[in-house]
Amino acid sequence: MPGLILAGDPVPDVALHPGVDLFVRTVDAYRAIAVSPLGRALTRPRPVRRTGFDQDLVVHDLRLEAEGVISLTLRAPDWSTLPFWRPGAHLDVFLPSGRQRQYSLCGDPDDPTRYRIAVRRIEDGGGGSREVHDDITVGDQLTVRGPRNAFRIAPASGYLFVAGGIGITPILPMVRTAHRQGVPWRLIYTARSRASMPFLDELARYRSGEVVVLPDDEHGIPDVAALVDGVAEGHATYLCGPPQMAAAAHRALAARGGRSELHTERFSARPVVDGTEFTARLARTGTSVTVAADETLLAAVRRARPDVTYSCQQGFCGTCKVAVLSGDVDHRDTTLLDSQRPDSMLVCVSRGTGELVLDL
Amino acid sequence: MSRTTRSKPQPYVEEAHTIKPRNVSFQWEEVPLHYIPDEPLATQFWNVMHLVIPIGERLMAGALSEALPFIADERLREEAIGFIGQETMHADSHEGYHEHLAAHGIDVEPVVRNASLMLQKILSDHGLKGRAKKEWLAERLAFYAAAEHFTAVVGQWLLDAEGLDEAQMHPMMLDLLRWHGAEEVEHRDVLFDVFQHVDGSYARRARWALLASAGLLGTWLVSLNHLMAQDPSRRWWKPWPLQIAGAVRRGLVPSLTIFATEIPVYLKPGFHPSSMGTLDSAIRYLATSPAARAAEQGA
Repeated sequence: MPGLILAGDPVPDVALHPGVDLFVRTVDAYRAIAVSPLGRALTRPRPVRRTGFDQDLVVHDLRLEAEGVISLTLRAPDWSTLPFWRPGAHLDVFLPSGRQRQYSLCGDPDDPTRYRIAVRRIEDGGGGSREVHDDITVGDQLTVRGPRNAFRIAPASGYLFVAGGIGITPILPMVRTAHRQGVPWRLIYTARSRASMPFLDELARYRSGEVVVLPDDEHGIPDVAALVDGVAEGHATYLCGPPQMAAAAHRALAARGGRSELHTERFSARPVVDGTEFTARLARTGTSVTVAADETLLAAVRRARPDVTYSCQQGFCGTCKVAVLSGDVDHRDTTLLDSQRPDSMLVCVSRGTGELVLDL
Repeated sequence: MSRTTRSKPQPYVEEAHTIKPRNVSFQWEEVPLHYIPDEPLATQFWNVMHLVIPIGERLMAGALSEALPFIADERLREEAIGFIGQETMHADSHEGYHEHLAAHGIDVEPVVRNASLMLQKILSDHGLKGRAKKEWLAERLAFYAAAEHFTAVVGQWLLDAEGLDEAQMHPMMLDLLRWHGAEEVEHRDVLFDVFQHVDGSYARRARWALLASAGLLGTWLVSLNHLMAQDPSRRWWKPWPLQIAGAVRRGLVPSLTIFATEIPVYLKPGFHPSSMGTLDSAIRYLATSPAARAAEQGA
């Protein structure tokens, strides 16, 4: 598993086919000119810069949408137009405490000046949702990043939407889109109890499709496989709910075979489980970082080395591989070969006990 | 870089599309040599991709990681980071087929060696330092941006290629090509935007559009020639350039004329990859791809 190759990596000196060798020499000559004063004279850099991924927005409105769920409507201080988004998009919200949380946009994509998000209070979570519920009021300023879409809706001849609990938030604008386009749709909306389900009133306005509300306390725990198996031939399924729900739906449709589309949101890195604090010494940087029990080694390393390479953050793409000079590694990746494990690790998921010394 | 001109930063007016690698895997045991049945030329055409593309993808991922310190825009950084993992997953997946192809009796080593070393020799940094090193990075990004234009064109072609379904290409191989093609379409803006952000010189873009086109076409034909010479079908009565024309006509491989016709498209002032059409077919394919879907089951 070689991962990526850097321009400074050694190039093996092996004979090439004469024609290939000629091409290499031609590009060598080109390079000599390209990085010479003549090359500079022929090249005018014109870097293109973009702004506005991060924005400071004002909390315009706060509403209690259901038991434990509030919605926040955000706008620019001067009511200027916000970046366009499609159903499925989300925002990063930087909370006053410094916490960064992602929330799906659940307002109207055709409203150019306002974004709406909804937040369920999770008492035993990381504290982000409690902060939103307890500390944020109308008129506050919040920094947001995005919108970004990891669950983009594509045209289809019909839709089955499945929402589990607060998973209704990206689905709601999808329902609105299907309704406006006059495409057949059906929504299955599950949650603990009816009182905890936001937006039932808004959904009631979309009469072109069917909304099936299945609170657990009235209908029992839903059988996800049976729900998605009922999708009409040629219709696309968009599902947002807990990770187990999405995985069950993927298994059910894979078992069924065929070509029906199943779209689920692509989430970022999963939270660290069973982590303990340890330290990592970055030998080449000459510094040490402390890795908290609930953060990844990658996150800690990035505080000292912001440009370290990584990608999937789930231990499979191999791009964050780092040589380990000493220490005991708790390997949690799925890609390194056993022969690589004694002296290298993937810093996005794997951890250490005590002190690790890394070649960074 | 004395004559750098800076234009006023433009605000983003549209959402970002999240680029993230997918944890796919493929099993080749049951795939026959001619995975497009009775189509040796078309099969060997795609074998060139398995053999030649991975090294380029790893070098491109490396160049992008070297460019990260020059990317000040957080949105572009995120896209570049996701891109790096998508490219290494493509490389892993194509390389996974090498052993199986060799087991079918094809000597893949000369093709892999020549293509790999050619690209590594051309694209390594040759001990350049300081300003020249940064300029050579900009040159390499211009190459990868041009190459990514061709992969986006071929990616979209793969998504639309009903000929491959009609010819009953082996489903696992078809899924590899279409998953790869869909991700190429999905991330088609990234290298172009990184090049524009880091350098943006039109002269560089134009030079490398020509070099990349010639290099890719030449590499493909030389490698294809080597593989066809070993193909057990021995259709010696039919020269393989004629076989290419037939495979193009049957919709099994894209027309090689794209290496000429796409140059003016890519070099049009004001060109941006997002003008190449919607992402819809890529997104829809990824929602049906057995490999991409299996990657979500472990969630």
